[in-house]
Amino acid sequence: MPVSEQNTQLPLVETTPKRRFARLLTFKDALRLPIIIWQALFFIAPLIFMVAMSFFIVRNYRMTEAFEMKNWLKMMSRDYFWDSYGLTIGLATLATLVVMTVAFPAAYTLAFRVSENTRRWAVFLLIIPFFTSYLVRIFSWYVILAESGVINAMLGYIGLGPYIMLNTQFGTIVGYMTLTLPLVIILQTLSLANIDWSLVEAAHNLGCRPWRTVFCIVLPLARTGLIIAAVFCFILSFGDFVSPYYLGGSKPPTLPILIVDTVKSGQQWPRAAVVAVVMMVTLFIVAFGGIAAAYRRRVR
Amino acid sequence: MADALVEFDSVVKKFGDFTAVERMNFTIDEGEFVAIMGPSGCGKTTTLRMLAGLEEPSEGEVRMQGRVMNAVPAHERDTPLVWQSLALFPFLNARENVEFGLQMRGVDAAARRKKALDWLDRLEIGEFAERNISSLSGGQKQRVALARSLVTEPRILLLDEPLSALDANLVIRMQSMLTRLQRELGITFVYVTHSQSEAFAMADRVVIMSRGRIAQIGAPKDIYRAPDNRFVAEFVGRNNIISGKIKSSSGKSVLINGSLGDFKVSLGGRAKPSPGDEGSFVIAADLVHLSSKKPRAGNQIECSLISEEFIGSVVTLFLEAKDGSEFKVQIQERELADMDLKHMGKVFVSWDPERAHYIGAD
Repeated sequence: MPVSEQNTQLPLVETTPKRRFARLLTFKDALRLPIIIWQALFFIAPLIFMVAMSFFIVRNYRMTEAFEMKNWLKMMSRDYFWDSYGLTIGLATLATLVVMTVAFPAAYTLAFRVSENTRRWAVFLLIIPFFTSYLVRIFSWYVILAESGVINAMLGYIGLGPYIMLNTQFGTIVGYMTLTLPLVIILQTLSLANIDWSLVEAAHNLGCRPWRTVFCIVLPLARTGLIIAAVFCFILSFGDFVSPYYLGGSKPPTLPILIVDTVKSGQQWPRAAVVAVVMMVTLFIVAFGGIAAAYRRRVR
Repeated sequence: MADALVEFDSVVKKFGDFTAVERMNFTIDEGEFVAIMGPSGCGKTTTLRMLAGLEEPSEGEVRMQGRVMNAVPAHERDTPLVWQSLALFPFLNARENVEFGLQMRGVDAAARRKKALDWLDRLEIGEFAERNISSLSGGQKQRVALARSLVTEPRILLLDEPLSALDANLVIRMQSMLTRLQRELGITFVYVTHSQSEAFAMADRVVIMSRGRIAQIGAPKDIYRAPDNRFVAEFVGRNNIISGKIKSSSGKSVLINGSLGDFKVSLGGRAKPSPGDEGSFVIAADLVHLSSKKPRAGNQIECSLISEEFIGSVVTLFLEAKDGSEFKVQIQERELADMDLKHMGKVFVSWDPERAHYIGAD
């Protein structure tokens, strides 16, 4: 915990340990205490436990405390693990690209082409999907995507199909989009709406065609918000269990499915912990990389 | 007459029910420095934006070199604008900002870099070429914005209150730089401002706007000494406006009867009004003579001194006439010191009828 600056700069008063403790618990610190305790109890401690657990071993279907590299060596040497890892990253990246691309025209319209009142309503309506359970929304896709579902029925009228969409990676992407699209549109809209429109007009004024302005002016100005939207989209998709399981058919499994499978088959909690740690590290890298890119300044 | 570069032909601009510009007709000549001046909301910025293609006229035509420009989009015009907010791109450095217009025109990297650096040098900020916009001072940003607009060598430059964010000293320096640039380049400047001192200091011709209409167009001196109407007289300079009924008219002058007595006013070139009509005249605060003794004859008003505004060598005195109306007088501080006036003391103002300026009824 930081000792207040005054203490470090002006050591005029002799600080006994007792006094220092009293200084540490000022009112301001007391306000911070609940969040620190919360984080320590429910975030840092479980995280440490999870990392520790990845070194435990399972004997006769019972987990035993230990410190062995067995789980790590086993998981890291298995092709199915790396296949899963590649698939999960691939699907999450694809979903992020698709969602960012689909969301952008909508966000652009909401930010620049409609009145402020319409924008407020639109953002409100985009929040509504979050009122219903994600699982319910995923199941509703069954009706639409199934072999005898709405889409195939319509395609049948014009003599196409039926296409298999459930239990495919297409289904997984649809599920990821259900989860992330409203949030990404909201985040993109807010970051675009903050753009000073006179900069866009200035670009037109200097001979920049409208389409080019989007890439030359709008994207660089909205960079921070857009990158954060993409990072959110990736994190949510990467860690999602429901979509790849129910719409993607879980074969081949993504990492969240692999965790569930590993736990179910032979109580392999420690090996599941290995997968979870790898996922955490991946997301940390993506989040830090993304935020660094979002807030990068040109230093001169 | 020089070629008309820009023509506004019965131009109207409406935003919903609000009419921002109402039947505007005027021309701007090649190489002219025109200032469009008026209070906020008078339509001056809308006029400039129509020139830049950022607004489309609702009616009428805007022509440039004879070509109708109404539907020509902004990016196809060569009408760079210097924005009030400067609108410099924060993700580009000074040089890249200046290069932007050239880049959009497909100039290759080496050529546009050279041109941009030349312009930054010309505006005396070459040493800041690679600096971030956020690390530049107000005056430096101003110069980057100017360089960015001028680098494509346009025939016309539009300026929307570009000096309003600068402090007074810097404004004077930028004014002389702008007039020098305009003379050297020989291009047309259209300068929108609400500041009389900026407009009068730089422009060849000033367009005064009020509520979407042109109130007067003329050289700064003409507008200052011969306002066309009450709005211009009140907006420009320090003028006293006296209204009344026309008592008689004879040849080149009229006699106006107001609540403070009869005043003889020269008509200038104006049409002769008939007796009984309403009429007003303007007498500028600096053309009034002040005395503590009653003058023998001529236009005069007895007043008492209310307050004074001292801004250096010139002092503005605020007087009150018998009917309660305010009267402003500007005299040299040195002169005032000799007069020894007292607060609420009685003074007489008088003026030469030739100096009063008849403005009709409005």
